[in-house]
Amino acid sequence: MRELRVALILKLPSPACGGGVGVLRRRRGRDARSPPPSPSVADYRATSPASGGGRRNKKGMSAGVGAIAALLLCLVAAAAAAQRVERPGQSLPAPSLGGPADSSVPPSVPSAPTVPELIVDLSQARVSITSAFQGESLLLFGMFDPPGEIVVVVQGPPARETVMRKERFLGLWLNTGRQAFDDVPAYYFIAASAPLQRLLARGAGGEILSLEDRLSSIRPVRWRSTEELAKFRGGLVEVKRREDLYPAAFGQVTVQAGRLFRAELPFPSRLPEGVYDVRAYLLREGRIVAAVSRPLPVGKVGFNAQLAGWSRQAGTLYGLGAIVMALTLGWLGGAVMRRL
Amino acid sequence: MEIYLPIAEQSMNVFVLFALGGAAGLLAGMFGVGGGFLATPLLIFVGIPPTVAVASQANQVVANSISSLQVQWRRGNVDLRMGLVLLFGGMLGSSAGVWLFTYLKRIGQIDFVIAVMYVVMLSSIGLLMLIESLLTYFRRRRNPTGPRGKLHTHYLVHRLPWKMRFYKSKLYISAFLPIALGFVIGILSAILGVGGGFVLVPAMIYLLGMPTTVVIGTSNFQILFVAANVTFLQAATNGTVDVVLALLLILGGVVGAPIGSRIAAKLPGVVLRGLMAVLVLAVAIQLLFELLRTPVSPFSLGVREVLP
Repeated sequence: MRELRVALILKLPSPACGGGVGVLRRRRGRDARSPPPSPSVADYRATSPASGGGRRNKKGMSAGVGAIAALLLCLVAAAAAAQRVERPGQSLPAPSLGGPADSSVPPSVPSAPTVPELIVDLSQARVSITSAFQGESLLLFGMFDPPGEIVVVVQGPPARETVMRKERFLGLWLNTGRQAFDDVPAYYFIAASAPLQRLLARGAGGEILSLEDRLSSIRPVRWRSTEELAKFRGGLVEVKRREDLYPAAFGQVTVQAGRLFRAELPFPSRLPEGVYDVRAYLLREGRIVAAVSRPLPVGKVGFNAQLAGWSRQAGTLYGLGAIVMALTLGWLGGAVMRRL
Repeated sequence: MEIYLPIAEQSMNVFVLFALGGAAGLLAGMFGVGGGFLATPLLIFVGIPPTVAVASQANQVVANSISSLQVQWRRGNVDLRMGLVLLFGGMLGSSAGVWLFTYLKRIGQIDFVIAVMYVVMLSSIGLLMLIESLLTYFRRRRNPTGPRGKLHTHYLVHRLPWKMRFYKSKLYISAFLPIALGFVIGILSAILGVGGGFVLVPAMIYLLGMPTTVVIGTSNFQILFVAANVTFLQAATNGTVDVVLALLLILGGVVGAPIGSRIAAKLPGVVLRGLMAVLVLAVAIQLLFELLRTPVSPFSLGVREVLP
């Protein structure tokens, strides 16, 4: 698994330095279990665009400036990350990235294949929440060098979620217990070309985490007894299931002609915004031989985005606008309807 | 037809929302009170987060009350002096209410408080109205003309300090009571997203002893500004006003209100009040049932916080 080959197929416009934290955290996770990768690979990772977890930087930058900025940001992030509590058990796989900035990659990347073993693309570059949005199903498709099995893991951006529990109090049901967890993925979906239990049982290098494994690493903000925490964790899954954010069923990766594959990624209508992380793995005999990661931005667009933005950033103006709208419509409506 | 609501962050059927606004407008037209007390629980029932439902409904109340106020003002049915005194209390109350709302939201008890307050308020108002209209109905049947009583009875209100003259209402009472009344209505308005007309109107008649002709206009005057204040503060502090949702409710209300007033013109006042009492009680019982029933799942999620 150490000779994990990096498939460089991503096409990102320019180095986005905002993702430095995410990249770095993943490296730390890896480093905890293994000797550090060769300097060239490390350099490459530090300067490459983020695969998710960070904010996107829309402004295009020249590759050189971008690389320097990314390095600087990563240094700052390293200082910040050093203060964080190390999380054993949560070891996200190393991102494999690429793009136009690849010309800066030194030729010393270990055994970089001329033809990648795994190529993945999505039917859409982003999930756009428009006024007609009712949830969406994206198609993930790609090609791999047989033999092998494909596993796809889609993860929403992590955040703090507070689980509340109702209890009967004087005959009334009210929220009496609450428990917050950090690092809870907004969305989690796994699809595989073969029964996942079989693939995971062979131990896919500990990188592909089932939902249960992934959730075992979320951090409770306040400690309780283990049983209580397990109950709240169960409640979290229950609510997320209900909203289809943790789809209960594993998705199916369909393989055609032995080398083409496709999978449906279902996104429900109550979809939190952020940059999602779509990862595809090629497994041979239970070992990951190739991995590809793609960021998938999910966000409101157009009118919806504008309204939500105003509401968040200019609440006072938004409120005044809402009042003016109500006054105008109420006045006009009243006048018109009375004439009829 | 579904539409995505940008602040509620979910899609909803346009016609359901339009119909809800229409029902609220119908009530406003029929009974002269905003239909917020019915629309807000229904919005929550169809799955809008309570915080968004309350704040957006307050926005609808603004539209609702300006259309009624238009007519009332022209007919001279607004006691401006009383309205301003009520409004003074209302502004204080609604500001305090939004602050309380924000606090309750933070500790995760807002949904419960909204439900309990609705139950307590609707059931007491509903019962009072039902008893009153039944009594009036039977008394009138026994004695159709009825003895003409005093304009209003004198009790505690008339002994408090800060007495003010309200010419239009033919009252000489302490300003303390209207201010306190406005304050309470303001809190209700902020936490429940209602105009508060269904509390304010009976209180003005029975508590302040105002003549019925100026009650509707004056309450509309106070509600307009209080609802505007709630909308503004909710948008500024909690960001929970969904203008797309409010727009649909307003459009429904604009259509529903004239239909309601046409129905009201054909029914006698006692019957109208009795009908409204039954409706209010029905909503209260439904909400109470929701509180007592064992929930499908005891778990729910609070606000998702993306940490920097």
